[in-house]
Amino acid sequence: MYLEKCKGELMGKKIIFNVFVFFVGLSLSAVFPLNAIAGEPKDQVKQTVDAVIQILNNKELKKPAKVEERRAKIRETVEKRFDFEEMAKRSLALHWKDRTPQEKKEFTSLFSDLLEDTYIRKIERYEDEKVVYTDEKLDGPYATVRTRIVTTKEIEIPVDYKIFKKGQKWEVYDIIVEGVSLVNNYRTQFNQIIRSGSYEDLVQKLKKKVVK
Amino acid sequence: MKKFNLEIAVGFFLLLGILSLAYISINLGKLEIVGKDGYTIYAEFEKAGGIKPKAVVEIAGVEVGTVKSVGINSDYRAVVELSIEKDIKLQEDAIASIKTKGLIGEQYVQISPGGSDKLIANGGKLRETESAIDIEELISKYVFGKV
Repeated sequence: MYLEKCKGELMGKKIIFNVFVFFVGLSLSAVFPLNAIAGEPKDQVKQTVDAVIQILNNKELKKPAKVEERRAKIRETVEKRFDFEEMAKRSLALHWKDRTPQEKKEFTSLFSDLLEDTYIRKIERYEDEKVVYTDEKLDGPYATVRTRIVTTKEIEIPVDYKIFKKGQKWEVYDIIVEGVSLVNNYRTQFNQIIRSGSYEDLVQKLKKKVVK
Repeated sequence: MKKFNLEIAVGFFLLLGILSLAYISINLGKLEIVGKDGYTIYAEFEKAGGIKPKAVVEIAGVEVGTVKSVGINSDYRAVVELSIEKDIKLQEDAIASIKTKGLIGEQYVQISPGGSDKLIANGGKLRETESAIDIEELISKYVFGKV
């Protein structure tokens, strides 16, 4: 009698345990789809980088006569992934708030021209460098995608993409090369120019640089 | 009676000596007996570059706080706890960088203020960081190349 009662109790416990396991499994499976998104930032960055490499490798576009077309194509691909307004905002930092909407717009376009002029020329010298994706770190709507560019001389340059979710898309707001942040670099320079002169001086300087 | 007074005087001076010693050691060691007014934020770095507790946190070269502690998280990244003066507001897009004073000087944390409307609250995280740059590593990489 007593033994059977014990057995019954054990069975009861077992059932409760099974139910518990079931619910844990259920909640885990509910959490799992979130993990599935984990590769998303990396995939989206990879998509853009691959598209740019494809343009660079295109033999047809390598002809000297097609330089402008190639440049335009790279620009178009990069613009889809990079949030130049956010980059401009972060680079101007404290001085962004003092700008009128029109000034903000003008500055964003100047800033994106500056970045494109500076970096597309660098990208154009591409010769079979490889991009290795090492790591991805999610933090709410923000993420960091870590990559390494391996040159033909086997030198590795770490490049981290700082991205954030804007609607359905992930957009880049900062690039960290060899531990140095692009935004912080421009933030320091812009701040110096504005503090020692004025915002207009900065715009003049950028215009001069972009025209060159 | 006279002897008794002398003993009191000696005791009094001894006590005074001990008190001033305590005062000096607290002041020189920058011990915080009563917690300083300020708030705490965390920053994650790839490489902390040997930054130590009590290192200075600067904005525009002015001390605005100190490093409270340095630890390591499950990703093997350095987590630096910063204590910031309560009057100093830090925007969400502020960038913290570990810098070295001069070529071989001490390490400190430099913060460049951002322009975001959102501020970092007590216990919050400073998301944008720049790790300490290892000049030796950089030189060796570009001089000798990698194997």
